[in-house]
Amino acid sequence: MSPRTPDFFDLVGDEGTPDELAQLRRAHDLLVAAGPPPELSPRLAEAPRAQSRSSVLPRRRRSAAFLLAAAVVASAFGIGLLIGNRDSSGFTQSRAIPMHGVGELASARATLGVGEQDSAGNYPLKMTVRGLPPLANGGWYELLLSKGGKPTLTCGSFASAKQGVTVRMSVPYDLSKFPTLFDGWVVVQREPTQHRNRLVMTT
Amino acid sequence: MPQVSAIQPTDEELLARVADGDRDAFGDLYQRYARAVLGLAIRRLGDRGRAEDAVQEAFASVWRAARSYKRERGPVAPWLYAVARNAIADRGRARTEPPAELADSPSDEPGPPEQAEQSWVAYRVHRAMEELPESERTVLELAYWSGLSQSEISDYLAIPLGTVKTRTRSGLRRLSEALEEELGES
Repeated sequence: MSPRTPDFFDLVGDEGTPDELAQLRRAHDLLVAAGPPPELSPRLAEAPRAQSRSSVLPRRRRSAAFLLAAAVVASAFGIGLLIGNRDSSGFTQSRAIPMHGVGELASARATLGVGEQDSAGNYPLKMTVRGLPPLANGGWYELLLSKGGKPTLTCGSFASAKQGVTVRMSVPYDLSKFPTLFDGWVVVQREPTQHRNRLVMTT
Repeated sequence: MPQVSAIQPTDEELLARVADGDRDAFGDLYQRYARAVLGLAIRRLGDRGRAEDAVQEAFASVWRAARSYKRERGPVAPWLYAVARNAIADRGRARTEPPAELADSPSDEPGPPEQAEQSWVAYRVHRAMEELPESERTVLELAYWSGLSQSEISDYLAIPLGTVKTRTRSGLRRLSEALEEELGES
């Protein structure tokens, strides 16, 4: 399913000099020709581990650095105990949306926490999932907004684990428009090597 | 709305730090180029799994080869493209299945030079999009790659329709300026 190609004049109107419109037209044509870049799967979410070329610290200073790091970890642990269950990332949940599995995965459950909108307009999401099996062969799960049960805008992708998983995402869409512009959320299982995309969870 | 600020390091600055073993800079460079390189790999290899392997190999090569980059020879984008293309080609040669038989009739598919040109253009467009201010990039992505109309974008982002149009124009203008130097007049 590829999105429709937008009409150039619908997008930019017809105001401007011929040179200016020609410049915009070139960028328009390039965007259409390029098509969307692929989404990164969870496997590619982070840069590959770079192998150390060489240690920049001499051995004695490395030992000192190790002791210093151990002290920092220990003090951070102590601070964590004092703070208790406060979310160290600063995530403050404003509402929680339950999700459930469908079909073969009907027993799967998830809670989607929606955080407070930041000053730039992003909504942080925190999703805790149970019952979605880990996928082999590079497969992943994708959370999307939905309208009438149909997936619309992607909110992020994640891998699952046998014991469940908690993942964080961020979306720029105005989630206060619920349920006018979208009326739910779905999770789609994507397995490119099996040519399989199936809806596995919904609100 | 967040803007791309002048204090963001350039690709050249990031690669110089990567050459000095800075893993954070490597992560930043990866985030800037990963989707463009993945798109290139999928286009060349036609298989998502092998393309992902190629992306990881490509960036491992970037890490190893960063010291060989010379700023005076040109910007990072074409250098990284060449490194990635080589890694992808290596992954392509590593395939074990026998080559398909040649078709008797001429194919409508673009030939290797055209495919290479298309790959380069898409790579540059995707990379240039990453450089746009987020407010403009989001509007263009929704318009071109999610198929939303201008009024739908206005509703989704809760911004006036006029702002959508302004951001679309300024995003296209910025994109055109970023791409003109390397792509030339098209």
